[in-house]
Amino acid sequence: MDAFLFLAVAVLAALFSNAFAGTERRLKWIGSYERAAAASPGAGPGVAKPTPGPEAVVTPSLGAPAGAKAFPPHPDKASADISGEDVMELHARKTVPFLDARRTSVYRDGHIAGARPFSVWESDVDEKVKAYFAEGTDQSAPIVVYCSGGTCEDSHMLAEKLYLVGFDNVLIYKDGYPDWIQRGLPVTKGSEP
Amino acid sequence: MRGRLASEWLTVRVQFVLAAFFVLAGIAKIADPPGFAHEIHNYGLVPGSLVNAMALILPWLEVITGVGLFLGIARRSAARILGILLIVFIIALGINLARKKPVDCGCFGTAKVQKTDAERLKDMKLVILRDVGLLLLAGQILYATKREERI
Repeated sequence: MDAFLFLAVAVLAALFSNAFAGTERRLKWIGSYERAAAASPGAGPGVAKPTPGPEAVVTPSLGAPAGAKAFPPHPDKASADISGEDVMELHARKTVPFLDARRTSVYRDGHIAGARPFSVWESDVDEKVKAYFAEGTDQSAPIVVYCSGGTCEDSHMLAEKLYLVGFDNVLIYKDGYPDWIQRGLPVTKGSEP
Repeated sequence: MRGRLASEWLTVRVQFVLAAFFVLAGIAKIADPPGFAHEIHNYGLVPGSLVNAMALILPWLEVITGVGLFLGIARRSAARILGILLIVFIIALGINLARKKPVDCGCFGTAKVQKTDAERLKDMKLVILRDVGLLLLAGQILYATKREERI
C-alpha cells in the first residue's frame, strides 16, 4: 500500500512539474521515438513520387554551380547518409536548409552556421516540423540534418518526422557536428541560425 | 554479527546514505527530462511510446522514496522500491554490456563530457558494481526492519 502511495505521489509530482516546465524541459507524455524500417515504395503521405531512373534528367538544385553533384529525392526511404565533403558542397550553395537535431542548449553552444534548431527531444519538435512544412519549402529539395555523429540517432529521428510530412530528400550528415568542427568550418553560437 | 547487522544505529546510517544517493540522482534528472529520456532511449529496452513517461516519473519516484527513507516514513516499502529500481538498472546495464553497446548510465543526468566507447563500457561495469553495493544497503534495511512487517 505504501509503495502505491509513493508511486502516486511521484506521478502527481511529475504531472505538475512537466505542466509548468519551459519548452526546453517539457516532454510529451507519449513519446514518438520509433525508428521505422525503410518504407516500401509508395509509402508516406501524399502522392507517391517515382524515383528517377538512370535515364531521367535530374534538375540540379537551385544555387548549385554547373557540374555540381545532384542529390535526387528518395521517396522510398526517410533519409540518405552523406559525407562531410557533400555537406561542405551543399553548405556552400547557401540555399540548402540545415537542421540541427541536438538539444537547444547544445545548439546555443555552437552549431553549423545557418542551421536551425530542431531538437527531437523537446516537446515542440512536432510543431516545428509542421511549421516548417507550412513555410512551403520544396519537399523534393535537399535538406541536411545533423546531430553529434557516431551512434547518435537524433538526426535519423528528425528525418523520420520530416519524411512523415512529405519531405523526401532529407540527407543525414552522418559524422555530424564534431566532424564539422574538425574540418574547421564556420560555426555560430547563440539562439539564431 | 547478526545483531550488529540489524542494529538500529547501522540501519539509520544506511538509510541516510541510500536516501542521499537517490535524492541527488533524482534531482539531477528532474532538472533535464528530455536528456534523461534520451538516455533511456539509448538503452534500447523501452518501447518508444513509454520513454517519456518513464523519464518523467522515475526521477520523482527516486526523490520521493529517498525522502521517505531519509525521514523513516514507510522505510521498508521505500527500501523495497529502491531495491527493485536497482535490480532493473543492473539488468539494463548488464544487457547492454553483453551487447557491447556503450550507454551512459544517466544516473545523475546527461553526461557533459564525451567519452570513448571503451571508457563508457568500463564505466558501465563500475556502475553495476556500485549498484550491487547499493542493493546490499537496501537489503540491510529490509533485513533489519523485518520485525516492522510483523507488527
